[in-house]
Amino acid sequence: MVTELSCASDLGKARAFIERNGLFFEEVWDDLVGIHEGDELVAVGARAGNILKMLVVEPSRQNGTLLGEVVTELVGRGFAAGCDAFFVYTKPEYAVSFESLNFSLLAAHERAVLLEYGGGLDRWLSSCNHLLRQGLNGAVVMNCNPFTLGHRHLVETAARQLDNLYLFVVQEERSLFPFAVRFRLVEEGVRDIPNVILLDTSNYAVSGATFPAYFLKRDDPIALIQMELDLTLFANRIAPFFKISRRFIGTEPCCSMTYSYNEAMKRLLPLYGIGVVEVARKEAADGVISASRVRELLKYNDFVPLEGLVPATTMAYLRSVEAVPILEKLRKGE
Amino acid sequence: MKITKKVQAGTMQSSDLMVFVEPFAELSIEIESTVKKQFEHLIRARIDAVLATHGVTSGKIRVTDRGALDYAIEARLETALKRAGEE
Repeated sequence: MVTELSCASDLGKARAFIERNGLFFEEVWDDLVGIHEGDELVAVGARAGNILKMLVVEPSRQNGTLLGEVVTELVGRGFAAGCDAFFVYTKPEYAVSFESLNFSLLAAHERAVLLEYGGGLDRWLSSCNHLLRQGLNGAVVMNCNPFTLGHRHLVETAARQLDNLYLFVVQEERSLFPFAVRFRLVEEGVRDIPNVILLDTSNYAVSGATFPAYFLKRDDPIALIQMELDLTLFANRIAPFFKISRRFIGTEPCCSMTYSYNEAMKRLLPLYGIGVVEVARKEAADGVISASRVRELLKYNDFVPLEGLVPATTMAYLRSVEAVPILEKLRKGE
Repeated sequence: MKITKKVQAGTMQSSDLMVFVEPFAELSIEIESTVKKQFEHLIRARIDAVLATHGVTSGKIRVTDRGALDYAIEARLETALKRAGEE
């Protein structure tokens, strides 16, 4: 029987079991469940949002039903908590075990695979049918936390070279400014550029599912695998659907994670016939414009230099009552 | 009956299926199955029949099947519908 693991002795056992089987025990989850036999754990698994992780089945028991039992429990709990699609990262040799549970492969890498349960990618793509355009199409994927003149410069430059520019705003809620605000500021900031098609990334680009390390700013071998999976998914599934043949990026002098992501893009996307166009960052009086610089100034309530970094639309929002609780949060360092 | 709640029934075990039901403006049925190629039409016919018996005309019904037989499909969907219509 699958039970929730919450008491200290169960947690200790789970940790030992997970580590003994070669996975990291990560402290963050919404549900952690397992199956006991006598006093011993024979299977465990966890769910953090729509990600299933730390799934381990006792090696001698892997041909049975234990994995299905654990995943059933986690998916049931996740659905009750509001998730529609679920993701799992695993080693390539386990892909088939998940496929037999009706997971489908989103992207494969020689060291890891990403699978999804719930058919969300196809559902998301078909919901974008009405946005499809013919011609020379390109894409930009941006978090815009918040929308700056740097973002504006990249969008303008890209839009000039294309018939249609798909502007994907990262939907993942891991940034200071909530998605709804980030999206609205982009919308207001690019409204006058007619060939921009604005949409969100759903779970499928730079998300907690495809590239969790991006938000952790943790530069390690796992991050590299994740960014390659993220790009493979973009190249294999998203770009062909939208007929995207160019991806535009800004040069990245500051953040090493974004720098590596850009480098991975230049290495991988051309293999799929997608050109990568790097646009030099727009500079303000005192250096390149970046959203992190904007947040830094906001933190110290330094509004004057902001005028040179963000468009009037973003500025209006930052000065509005609506922004007060968010700026408060920033100043408290949360 | 009317689907008023978001519910789930079934398991991921072999010969079983997971059923997810939630309120929706129209009737939408999505089927995922390890034997989709051969049997999707039969699974769909079973689902349509159960929905008709219960007078369900709207709702989002998602099924992921691992080769369940007709009676299992009926039982899981009925259970889900009963849960979805509870006050």
